[in-house]
Amino acid sequence: MISGRLKKVILKVLKLNSFDLYDETLAYQVPGWDSLSHVIILAAIEKEYGIHFRVAEVLRLRNLGDLQILINSKITNNNQG
Amino acid sequence: MVFNSIQFTLFFIIVYILYLFLNHRWQNRMLLVASCIFYSAWDWRFLFLIFVSLTTDYLCSLKIHASDNEKRRKFFLVLSILINLSILGVFKYFNFFVSSLKVFLGCFGLNIHPIVLQIALPIGISFYTLKTMSYTIDVYTRKIEPTRSYLDYFLFVIFFPLLLSGPIMRAEDLLPQIASPRKLRLDWFYEGCYLIFWGLFQKIFIADNLAKIVDFVFNAPAPYNGVQVLLTLYAFAFQIYCDFAGYSNIARGLGRCMGFDIIINFNLPYFATNPQEFWKRWHISLSTWLHDYLYTPIAFSKRSWGNWGVVFALMATFILCGLWHGAAWTFVIWGAYQGMLLVIHRFLKPLFELISSPKSIMNRRIRFIIKVIFFFHLACLGWLIFRAHSVGQSLEMLQALVFNFKFSKESFGVILNIIALICILLIVQVFQFIKKDQLFIFKQNWMIRAAFYYVIFYLILIFGVANGREFVYFRF
Repeated sequence: MISGRLKKVILKVLKLNSFDLYDETLAYQVPGWDSLSHVIILAAIEKEYGIHFRVAEVLRLRNLGDLQILINSKITNNNQG
Repeated sequence: MVFNSIQFTLFFIIVYILYLFLNHRWQNRMLLVASCIFYSAWDWRFLFLIFVSLTTDYLCSLKIHASDNEKRRKFFLVLSILINLSILGVFKYFNFFVSSLKVFLGCFGLNIHPIVLQIALPIGISFYTLKTMSYTIDVYTRKIEPTRSYLDYFLFVIFFPLLLSGPIMRAEDLLPQIASPRKLRLDWFYEGCYLIFWGLFQKIFIADNLAKIVDFVFNAPAPYNGVQVLLTLYAFAFQIYCDFAGYSNIARGLGRCMGFDIIINFNLPYFATNPQEFWKRWHISLSTWLHDYLYTPIAFSKRSWGNWGVVFALMATFILCGLWHGAAWTFVIWGAYQGMLLVIHRFLKPLFELISSPKSIMNRRIRFIIKVIFFFHLACLGWLIFRAHSVGQSLEMLQALVFNFKFSKESFGVILNIIALICILLIVQVFQFIKKDQLFIFKQNWMIRAAFYYVIFYLILIFGVANGREFVYFRF
């Protein structure tokens, strides 16, 4: 499930007031989320959560559910570390 | 052995008859042998290069998958990419870099006599290299699991309908179709025949006839007439589109007849209203490859630069895209031009969005048509650089467009010639665009289809260029 925190970051970068985001949502289905804004969104997420994505992880993402799982695993790793 | 030749027709008929009578395992083996024969018809010696490239990627991918050690995984990824790019570099770019270095050093008064390799460009090398590289990268990022079957992987790389000019299909889309039995359906066979027929019409009737107009002007010495240059650019825009989209349609049709689902490579690109949309419609398999394996890693590594990182990634990606098309400065400049259009569009887009959309449907349509025509001319400007023999020639033609724009009697003849060649394409594409369906004609009742086939067949037979002219993208 997409967390409220992640949703807030995405909507803020895309300057959207509201939009429903689900695990199955694909980037191109969200207004304004194109290849150009993709990197800006990922950078904003890294800043928000204090995490660091690797290129290979980014290339593997298929939908928002994958992104949420990746963020959760990074937060868990940070807490354990 | 080009698709538009008698040899290929006979070759495919034999392959298809054998295909119908074999089981899945032997179908794949037969397709593998047929693909090797198909490639050997160009030059059997270059089969060795494909063999080196695909064996490297096959072995490296297995090693990457088997290891959890990040350093070891990266080592095999880098090794695979290095070998692929080295082959491409030597066979495609060596002479270009050496001659550019000679000119560069000449500017400082240093004269060198570099070695020039006297070798032909291995046909299809740019396409199969991207295909094999994407496979290894996908295994590295754990997007896919590598196949254990060497023969399946061999066929994935060398499958003859896609070997010379794509579409550059990804392993996740094509390998499962190779690994499991394919259905043979009569409706798919008809669809495949329609695509082959339409592709042949685009190539033999439209592209090859337009090529005569284009070659005449581009092979002529300066000075040029602006009107003549403009008309030639219109002709080239449709020549290169029909040449490549025609090839892609034939490739899709051949695959469809054999039960394969080959991705769409062109989705009515001249209906694009901006550069971003154009690259979503033009050579889709290449633009998505560039997006996933070049643009995203570059942009992501420069994310701390914000918007400037995006600009850098766009420019770098499209300059390399230009270089991929050919080892010449005209292609590099064309790539930079495309990158620049995308950057400008990126920054002006918020301004365009402030302009409210017209309320009446008619005004909205007029605005759309104006945007399509405007962007088509920007694309044509790019085609001028792309098609020119040298940077000097493109500058002379640009100069003629601005300072020597005069109509002559011959111009009207050329206009009529171009309209006659592209009118059927335009009518069909308007319907395809409105109905959002590239198979719109195929889905009509038998009377419309019969009339369509009759007209197309008649035009190919009477006015088609029958010498089996090579497809433009083969040389890339």
